[in-house]
Amino acid sequence: MGVFTGLITGILFGIVLQRGRLCFNSAIRDLKLFKDNYLWKAVMLGIAIETLLFPLMAQAGWIHLNPKPFMPVGDIIGGLLFGFGMVLAGGCASGVTYRTGEGLTTAWLAAIFYGLFATASKFGFLKPVVKFLRGPVYKIDSPGGIYAKGKIGPTIATSLHINPWIPAIIFAAILLWYVFGTKTSERGGKGFNWITTGILAALVGGLAYYTSSHFGGRNYPLGITGGWISIFKTFTGGKLSWEGAEVLGIVIGAFLSALATKEFKIRMPRNPMAYVQVIVGGALLGIGAVTASGCNIGNFFSGVPHLAWGSLLASLFFVLGNWIMAYWMYGRR
Amino acid sequence: MADVKVDKTLDVRGEVCPVPDVETKRALKKMESGQVLEVLIDYPLSKERIPANVKKEGHEVLAIEEIGNSEWRILIRKK
Repeated sequence: MGVFTGLITGILFGIVLQRGRLCFNSAIRDLKLFKDNYLWKAVMLGIAIETLLFPLMAQAGWIHLNPKPFMPVGDIIGGLLFGFGMVLAGGCASGVTYRTGEGLTTAWLAAIFYGLFATASKFGFLKPVVKFLRGPVYKIDSPGGIYAKGKIGPTIATSLHINPWIPAIIFAAILLWYVFGTKTSERGGKGFNWITTGILAALVGGLAYYTSSHFGGRNYPLGITGGWISIFKTFTGGKLSWEGAEVLGIVIGAFLSALATKEFKIRMPRNPMAYVQVIVGGALLGIGAVTASGCNIGNFFSGVPHLAWGSLLASLFFVLGNWIMAYWMYGRR
Repeated sequence: MADVKVDKTLDVRGEVCPVPDVETKRALKKMESGQVLEVLIDYPLSKERIPANVKKEGHEVLAIEEIGNSEWRILIRKK
């Protein structure tokens, strides 16, 4: 049941990612490089909805919120490495995963090296290095209520000792004011518009939280890094987890969606150096994601709606890392 | 659109994101006003983002044609 629900959730997410062209690397970079906020608004709308949806689901007793730990050093270093990595890899964790299904061979290599280096960082030869880079890890005793029992990562609400609904409503209101109150870049073509993308991605996020905690033995919404790690572990006898099935589902969903809209094609760059670049980028994605305890989906899209300090800090450094590397690669001339 | 004289062709099929967008921008910068740039592309995200961004810069998008399975040809006239 865990693998089955993970696969279904992943297929739905893959369709949304492919139709919405929802890549956080593009979303973050386009803001600076092209003064284009189209995908960024889809991300912000999705996060605003999840910020209200997750506590609502928890209030109804369907889930218990499980924010990520706070790691002042690891979130910054991992965030920067991941931010550099997404620019070099030509996509973030969700971007390279969905484009794997679209037939981009550069995304295949980026995804493979992302998975391999994430596995090495979590269980293999890079484990001591990553443990050092992560620095201190802070968790607190859960205040109960809509939060999961035991140790959880600190959030704005737990630090201020206030009802988690207060910061959630304020944060969501600010984001909604931004997405609907400011000018949005134009975009034509066959893809979903940004509003559809944002809403559907948030709904899949809610579905993921429910199915993964009820059937997958993993209390968290969408994620990618742990999924690739699980897929790589199956090569040495590991069992596919809910998240592994979800990542497999993303590739399948994006493949079917691209096939249906005639956007599937095996694509190869003319300059093979692009492969070297995406391999380095993929490796940085893997190391960065494990150091920061999550990628752009785990920390940014799923963690920021919890208003967890760790996810907020890591996401800030995903953005800074992306901007620094994008400027160095593409912005200077 | 076959009657439009193309002054420069940019083939960015298979390139990593956002190379198609960046190369298009750089190619337009080097061209003369009124000249036409042909961009051959197979990446859906950029196929939608390039026309939106060149229009914003004031250039004219003459056509976006499907030339194959997930392959397009974008014609842009420099302002």
